[in-house]
Amino acid sequence: MATDDNTNTESQPVLGDQPSQVQFQQNEQQQPPPKSSLNQDEPEEEPYLDIPRHLRYWKMCIRAPLPHVYLSNESSRLALAYFIVNSITILTPPPSQRTADTPEPLISREDKKLMRKWVLHHQHPTGGFVGTSSMVFPLNGHNTYNSSGKEGTSEDEPEHHGLANISYTLFALQLLALLADEEDEDPEAAEKVFEGVNRKGTLRWLKSLQREDGSFGEALSDLPGYGRFIAGGYDMRYCYIATAIRWILRGDVREGDPGWVEDIDVERLRGYILSSQTYDRGFAGNSQDEAHAGYAYCAIAALTLLDQDDLDDPNFLLPPTPSDLLCCLDALTKEKGPQGAVEVAFNGRTNKTADTCYFWWVGGALANLGWLQGYDNDGEGPSNGQPPQKESLVDRASARRFLLTKMQHRIGGFGKSPGSPPDLYHSFFGLAVLGLLGHEGERDKLRRFDAGLAVPKDVVGVIEKARKRLVERDGLGKSEIDDGREGLVEMGLELRGGGGGGGERPKWLGECGY
Amino acid sequence: MPPKSKAATKPSKSLFPPTNPTTTTTTSIQTTSSSEPSTEPTTVLERSQQRYEKTRPFEAARQKQGGSSKLSKEDQKGWICDQLLHLTNRLPQASRSRLLGPKASKEIWWTINGTNSIDRGLTKKPKPHSTWGTDRNGHDVGSYTIERFDERIKKRTALTALLVSSRVFRENVEREKRGDLDARSGCPVIVTEREIDDERVRRSKMAALKKELYGEITGKLAGSVEWEDVVPIPHEEPEGALAAIAYPADYAEAMSYLRAVMATKEYSHRCLRLTQHIIAMNPAHYTVWLYRAACIFALKLSIPDEIEWLNEVALANLKNYQIWHHRHLLVEHYYPTIASDPEALAQFAKQERDFLIAILSEDTKNYHVWSYRSWLVGKLGMWEDQEELKSIEALIDEDVRNNSAWSHRFFLVFSNPEYSTPGKGATEADPKCPQHIVDREVQYAQQKTYLAPQNQSPWNYMRGVLVKGGQKLASVHAFVEEFVVKLGDETGEEIRSTHALDLLAEIYAEKGETEKADLCLRRLADKWDKIRAGYWNWRRQCLQSEKKAGPEQPGEEVTVA
Repeated sequence: MATDDNTNTESQPVLGDQPSQVQFQQNEQQQPPPKSSLNQDEPEEEPYLDIPRHLRYWKMCIRAPLPHVYLSNESSRLALAYFIVNSITILTPPPSQRTADTPEPLISREDKKLMRKWVLHHQHPTGGFVGTSSMVFPLNGHNTYNSSGKEGTSEDEPEHHGLANISYTLFALQLLALLADEEDEDPEAAEKVFEGVNRKGTLRWLKSLQREDGSFGEALSDLPGYGRFIAGGYDMRYCYIATAIRWILRGDVREGDPGWVEDIDVERLRGYILSSQTYDRGFAGNSQDEAHAGYAYCAIAALTLLDQDDLDDPNFLLPPTPSDLLCCLDALTKEKGPQGAVEVAFNGRTNKTADTCYFWWVGGALANLGWLQGYDNDGEGPSNGQPPQKESLVDRASARRFLLTKMQHRIGGFGKSPGSPPDLYHSFFGLAVLGLLGHEGERDKLRRFDAGLAVPKDVVGVIEKARKRLVERDGLGKSEIDDGREGLVEMGLELRGGGGGGGERPKWLGECGY
Repeated sequence: MPPKSKAATKPSKSLFPPTNPTTTTTTSIQTTSSSEPSTEPTTVLERSQQRYEKTRPFEAARQKQGGSSKLSKEDQKGWICDQLLHLTNRLPQASRSRLLGPKASKEIWWTINGTNSIDRGLTKKPKPHSTWGTDRNGHDVGSYTIERFDERIKKRTALTALLVSSRVFRENVEREKRGDLDARSGCPVIVTEREIDDERVRRSKMAALKKELYGEITGKLAGSVEWEDVVPIPHEEPEGALAAIAYPADYAEAMSYLRAVMATKEYSHRCLRLTQHIIAMNPAHYTVWLYRAACIFALKLSIPDEIEWLNEVALANLKNYQIWHHRHLLVEHYYPTIASDPEALAQFAKQERDFLIAILSEDTKNYHVWSYRSWLVGKLGMWEDQEELKSIEALIDEDVRNNSAWSHRFFLVFSNPEYSTPGKGATEADPKCPQHIVDREVQYAQQKTYLAPQNQSPWNYMRGVLVKGGQKLASVHAFVEEFVVKLGDETGEEIRSTHALDLLAEIYAEKGETEKADLCLRRLADKWDKIRAGYWNWRRQCLQSEKKAGPEQPGEEVTVA
């Protein structure tokens, strides 16, 4: 409701009467310090992440409406929600590690429940998710399917499928897992986080987004004169996202298994990814563009998610010459700062300046390759079983130092470049990369972060459990969308006198999907 | 009896604490006909309250005393009569006389007539806020002065008159659509331009009055004649919403109209204008752009016109991704219409390049623009277009570190179907690539390297060209040595480019001179590029493992061609 009020009544960023307004005001008074160093009084000390300060920043992001500058993200609110919830999760210790001094989690159990419901509200009837609640169809009970006689309308392909978007589908799934109720006594709580997700529909829709060359678009669209068409650029991001959605939902099912859904063309996708390597040994959005660290991350993480073993085989990743792979780092690793300085930053393209988010794109790519190991790396996850010679290629302490002294902002959060104000995007990536690098001491301990799925490692565990349940349910031929209706059908059957169960189900029930 | 019992229960229901702090309370009324209000009313509320007290003396007295039981016997009787009168007054004449017999009626009137009470008195006691409502600032209209209130009433009357005229206009529009005949003249109903203009004026007046009176903001669309027939679908957000954005009312309104037209798949000129309106506020909405493309294709509008409009939008929103995807769609759509006409094709290619040059001058490394440009080269077959290569050279001359320009040059030269094998990746050697092209490009990179030896772009370029041409890295050994003086000599060592040292390590490895290669990498790790020491040391390890694996292998790597 708060949102509606604001949308209707104001023309300037209104921070409303939310509790965090006070903090916004305080923050306005605090101008960014000239060098943005948080530890000017004690320069000798190794910088650390001031967790309460960052939590304060995220607190105002989660409660108050975001200021007007975020309007250009109106179509991608699920992405913003992902940055917010993910950051808060990274900063909040799991229940088992909480002590008496740990502050109350920023998102209460009740809030999580409501937020999960809100995320599910974005699901399109035929699968996939829409980026913003302002584009959810059918809208508010308005029947948008009443235009009878319109071409291209059939039961399994309702109109307005073009609203579901590949990026927001991944963000929605990640959000559902991030919003799992960790305090629930019920051991099955984690398994239930995907309840309501149309697994089969989403996977089928995902497949329909793949192009001939193996790449993925972002949405399906109807263009007059062209019919169904895959919209979106030739962009490595969509390829990565496709592999992540597939990893999250598909599971290890084989043809003939009950939960089986037709897969995307993995070989073609691999082919597309590998062909997008550039002459200077990086990756681009496609085979003809400039190497870019963001796309390198997407390419490498996609290959990781498709099959983790592939990356250990140098002949797989870069057929022409194994040395290309090593040199891909060449394009990635960059220094910034005076000669011999003990701070390391990353840029995204050759001869460009450093930016907080490239700490993630470069660091994440290296971590997927097993070349970035955190302080407390215990060998779990994708880096498991790497040959021992793969050591960290980046000096972690130097990278941490740059991030914490130059990019961190006094009000919490991270900016794009030294001295710039924090925003959701860079603040999240700053935390994500610290979650990869690990921590110095107990005071800035974060949840460990997964470089492949871009959520904390324990959330990956939640996803696996939830997927297992979804696959099992799909195997039983049950649709999760209409849980309530299904219950009614079962009740009806019982009343009908079936009693013992089985055998009594009328045939037509199956045809209706029950 | 029934009326009496009703009357008797009523007081207990309507007992409420005295509410209005602004009311000036007069001394309590002891008898039916006592105290006149002593002060002139200053606000509307006061005036009405005084009227109420005047016309309903028994009820007013009861409320002041705090219950009918506290009234005198006479007043109680009067109060009951007053209640009955007001209750029965609401009933139709027939049931009124049935309810109260003539005798009872007579008695009531007798009692009432002895007082100031009149049967048309205010039935409800006026209360702040609820009686007149609040104005646009949330203030009680009842607290207005009489003069101000009269002003407001005048405006409300004016608004009502406008609403009626507007209603008539809208009905005429409907009748015109149906083809109705005018009852008087017998001619078909026609809405004239003048009437439309009048309606426009009327709407803006109405919007202004609504805003002034009620704070109701009439959006641009709701007030426009053009959107008359569309019922906007408002955005309803469920509970638990995250990342709400404080956006202007105009945006919310425009989106509600967009939802409405999308629901019916309307592709029209007004939809096109609607997308333009939204794009001006939020140019990053992918759905809006796709809808715009659909409108253009459905209406078969001129693509060059759209591109011209798009140029402005692109220049105003340099970092936008959707604009370039839209342009891509437009050109895909336009290309078949000019594909068979080489002149038109060349003209279009020139026009596009001119714009790309202009926008790149604002941001020379804009990824979206470069990505579109490389696609355009392939689409329009601009491979042999010397202007394309020249404009890239101009950018490199301007900034030799512009890696985007270097990257485009590599694509332009080595993806030319004239001398490249389809399907060969950028990192693969291509036997179809002619020697003179390889030599020309190596030379170009070398020239540019002299300008700034530590600039990585030409080094990467040169290495890429050699691999593409299937040539040994050793073919540039002499050139690389120019940047490396007295390697390994603690006192005289001078490295003019770490990239040279890196390439030199590869050249030595290629030649099988592992020790020398190792020295290059060691010097990089220890002295010249300490920040990437981890990487250089790792390269040294690889060198050792390659050496153990056998002497042929390093050679094999580079002779793939």
